Amino acid sequence: MSWAAHQFEVYAVQAHLPKKMKGKVSFWAIFLGDFTPDFLSKFWVYGFTINGTRYGSDVPHQWHRGFPGMGFTHTLFFGAIVTLLIWSWKKNRAFTVGYILGYAAHALTDINDSVGVMLLFPLLTLNFTSETWAYAATIDGGKYLDAAAYYSSLGLAMDVFWLIVVLFSWRVLTREHWRTEIVPPDARIWAWFGRWLPERGLLALYRATFFYGLCRMISWSAWARLFADPDKYGEFDVTSRGFPMDLSWTGPYWLDARSLDHVNPWIAYPAALTLLGLLYVVLIRLWEPMGRKEAEHRKSQASRRIDA
Amino acid sequence: MSSEPISEHVTVPPDFRGSRRLVGKEEWFWYLLAAVSYILLGIWHKWLLNWFVGPVWLVAIVVIGPWITDRIGITGRRSGGER
Repeated sequence: MSWAAHQFEVYAVQAHLPKKMKGKVSFWAIFLGDFTPDFLSKFWVYGFTINGTRYGSDVPHQWHRGFPGMGFTHTLFFGAIVTLLIWSWKKNRAFTVGYILGYAAHALTDINDSVGVMLLFPLLTLNFTSETWAYAATIDGGKYLDAAAYYSSLGLAMDVFWLIVVLFSWRVLTREHWRTEIVPPDARIWAWFGRWLPERGLLALYRATFFYGLCRMISWSAWARLFADPDKYGEFDVTSRGFPMDLSWTGPYWLDARSLDHVNPWIAYPAALTLLGLLYVVLIRLWEPMGRKEAEHRKSQASRRIDA
Repeated sequence: MSSEPISEHVTVPPDFRGSRRLVGKEEWFWYLLAAVSYILLGIWHKWLLNWFVGPVWLVAIVVIGPWITDRIGITGRRSGGER
């Protein structure tokens, strides 16, 4: 799984919208779309303990990304269904397009760990994975071992990659960008927050996901490198304090990477990029028709209100 | 410590609530304070590192911090309309 990458990609998507969508796609929808896959599945991956009894999945990676399991939550198919429901309910183009973009970003980023995602679900229940780093969520290790493995492997490089993408588009974090491109598509939501928060709070709220991603990346990395006691999380081929860094493919070496039945890893990136390209083309083509439909919907709603 | 106030709010018009905006060095100061405190506390208190506490941490420091320093006079005179 990916960690801070999922926070950074929200801003990266926002910064790299097609020209005609700039300032017209909901930031909160991108955030929500990116958040949904793990929100629906992750609570049971690590599980929780009450009065000494552990509640959670017996095979975390199967539950998280597999079939049977909640793996469908990390598929474009499920993302598209939820997106269609949102569209048929609200007829809001800014939110609908933002949601599927956020959802796709999450699902496609997750092909990088050793478990991957079912990119072609329901046509194919095999996972697509590039096996770049080890998926490490286990019953015994929980979130701590997962973090230690991620931030001791190329997972950290993935977080840094997305951080650099955002930093190259640093204007996306400025007050000017927030005022001109983020607020207009979500005017009602910002107005609602504005009932309690001053402008500096609203701007902080917009930047908060980036802030959280950056801080958790540094905090978990520092802990894994300098302070963690590996013996607490299992038996590893590690002698020093802190988990060793290993930037080899499917690393770190000191942990068995979890895996599910999958296609050839060489297919993962081409398949993901093809799907991303297809999504891009579909959204570009649907942009104007969706805008017309939204305008019609608003017009009919307005006349209904007048009639009432 | 410099005798100049770290706030540059005197020249910046207040926002829609009459609260002052953060700009320049003062804005950097509050964001850095939030980041350093959250990172350091997060290393030893992992329960803080979640998607709810993180954003709330930043918003709370950026909103409440300047309000407190205004009240005790560190950042110069208060914006009259601040609520």
